[in-house]
Amino acid sequence: MTLSHLATEDVFVVERNDADFRAGQGMTKGLGIVFRKFRKALFGKPNSDRADTEGQFNVQYPEERLVLPEAYRNMPILLYDDATGHELCTSCFQCERICPPQVIHITQAKDPATGKPVPAAANFVLEYDTCMSCGYCAEVCPFDAIKMDHDFELSTGNHPELDVNYDRLLRPISYYEAIAPTMWSDVKEQAMKKLQNNIKRRPGAIGRDHGQKVKGGAAVAVAATPVAGAAPAAAAKPRGPVAAIGKNMPEEKVAKLISIRAANAAKRGGGDAGAAPVAEAAPIVETVVDTPAASAAPSGPVAAIGQNMSEDKRAKLEAIRAAKRAQRGE
Amino acid sequence: MLKTEELQINIGPQHPSTHGVFRMLVTVDGETLVDLKPVFGYLHRNHEQLGEVNTYLQNMPFTDRLDYFNSMVNNHAYARAVETLAGVEVPERAQYIRVIMDELSRILNHATAMGFMLGDMGAWQTALLWGMREREKILDMFEYVSGARMMCNYCRFGGVVRDIDDWFITELKKLMQGLPHYFDDFEGLLLNSEILLARARNIGVLPKELALAYSVTGPVLRGSGVAYDIRKAEPYAVYDRFKFKVPVGTVGDVYDRFLVRIAEMRESYKILEQAIEQLPDATGGFINPKVKQQSLKAPAGEAYARVESPKGELGFYLVSDGSGSAYRYKVRAPSFINLSSLADMCKGYSIADVVVILGSIDIVMGEVDR
Repeated sequence: MTLSHLATEDVFVVERNDADFRAGQGMTKGLGIVFRKFRKALFGKPNSDRADTEGQFNVQYPEERLVLPEAYRNMPILLYDDATGHELCTSCFQCERICPPQVIHITQAKDPATGKPVPAAANFVLEYDTCMSCGYCAEVCPFDAIKMDHDFELSTGNHPELDVNYDRLLRPISYYEAIAPTMWSDVKEQAMKKLQNNIKRRPGAIGRDHGQKVKGGAAVAVAATPVAGAAPAAAAKPRGPVAAIGKNMPEEKVAKLISIRAANAAKRGGGDAGAAPVAEAAPIVETVVDTPAASAAPSGPVAAIGQNMSEDKRAKLEAIRAAKRAQRGE
Repeated sequence: MLKTEELQINIGPQHPSTHGVFRMLVTVDGETLVDLKPVFGYLHRNHEQLGEVNTYLQNMPFTDRLDYFNSMVNNHAYARAVETLAGVEVPERAQYIRVIMDELSRILNHATAMGFMLGDMGAWQTALLWGMREREKILDMFEYVSGARMMCNYCRFGGVVRDIDDWFITELKKLMQGLPHYFDDFEGLLLNSEILLARARNIGVLPKELALAYSVTGPVLRGSGVAYDIRKAEPYAVYDRFKFKVPVGTVGDVYDRFLVRIAEMRESYKILEQAIEQLPDATGGFINPKVKQQSLKAPAGEAYARVESPKGELGFYLVSDGSGSAYRYKVRAPSFINLSSLADMCKGYSIADVVVILGSIDIVMGEVDR
């Protein structure tokens, strides 16, 4: 019984090895290949060329990183103009509507004087934990305000932190331009034109009153536009106790841990929160207030490489990326 | 005569060689398997119901999560179903791009599936990692065009989301230089290995008649000796323009399925070669600009579109009531239907063969449970 609609010349029968007596020649051949590969892996050069099937292919991850392609998408971010601090989002709700898992929640800004809607968002909450990174929001956005970030190191021990609010979603345009130069240059002109039109319709600080922006005259204070029914910005929520320092820990380890925590607290800007308990003995319970100033701070184009990286590592990474770019002929 | 008793054992759901959260309730008499009851549903996530709530476009990224090894193929099949339903034309270049992605998927799927099966047999890591290495190179390219390695979400109705550029073609050609070496190494390592022959030959035999009765598809069916391949039987996209052959087995055992998959990788390679050569230039566009992706409405009716996924016939059945989302949405998942033949394949063999036979079916639980 055969299905006859396939022509005979289209079909071939795979060749089986049905020999009953064998003296291990198949295994010997296999081991020969493995040995050849093993030698190449030990003494060969590291390579990343797609044509190679021998040699070393490892990437020593935290130090070495592969270059992410421009189209790479991880989590959505929102853009603002470096010069004026104006956010590109106009709360048109296109992304909220298309989002397959429905994780985008936008509150439209309203003019406090007239109560009329303004082309800006009062708040923008995105559930990073449920986002499926499909990229539809960035695809449909007519104002090029929402884009997909390349930063994938988002792990946290604090789950509620993954409901990301407007302050922490904002990145300057220069950041996006650095991670996706050609994709931005394709849309730059129309995006900026649309932004200029929208700025005209935004009274006061509306549209640039979120987060702590690096450049420009952005208002830092969160002006908390009173909008009926709007959820208050997710700022100022206690981050919960950080793991207490164990009782059975050796002295020097405790000292080291305390100093690390103090340094971290200083970096966050909320110096007093972490610095105070240093003198006290264990257990130390640290309560960190998640202020927008502490957690938002998008640190410009370098952020793509990682904030905590040492200088030489960063230089090395830059060199690798340049080489890759040259290889690709950009 | 010693009186023996039958014993029931659970294999899974937390077992590394069940390829996901899958449980097999096996009854053994000594070492010999008497009965096997597959138990699944642990990964059920309401996919089909979601497809009836979502709009047509919104459902595309969910299809990525069915067979997460071959999201490109899933996208293609789903896009084809909606295109048939809504009567959307697809530019030629997009068809070629889809074919290239499908065949790359087939290579990476077979490379890893065979690696996993051999891992279950005890060829720990070597064969699997060679497959993973090739897969990694392919995934890099998927990432470049689609933005994600596994959850590609690449197809749109009437085309693909992003065109492939010169970089992609150059890298694809480089990749194709390396692939034959990989095929040769893989065959050299294992094809005639005495251990593989002992574990795979005449194990898990699925006779032709039984395979047809279970409506098994893909390499499992071809391993049983039925020459059936949707790419030939009902050519979709531009598959009628390529010269390639359909490999079939003779006995229908684990060894035949293994050989068929290796042969299929080589055939995919031939298709890729021809597709690159025939790829039309960008003048025709890579997506049909007339289609309203977000607000696509299909006229009332029904459509079924199928493609030859690396695991078998992947079909999407859609019923439209004229609104923006499907009235009924059904997935014909190859893994699920191939899995139904597991019990008959395993009966009478040793319990140690069960994992090997399961590995040779090549299932992905994301697709079985939906």
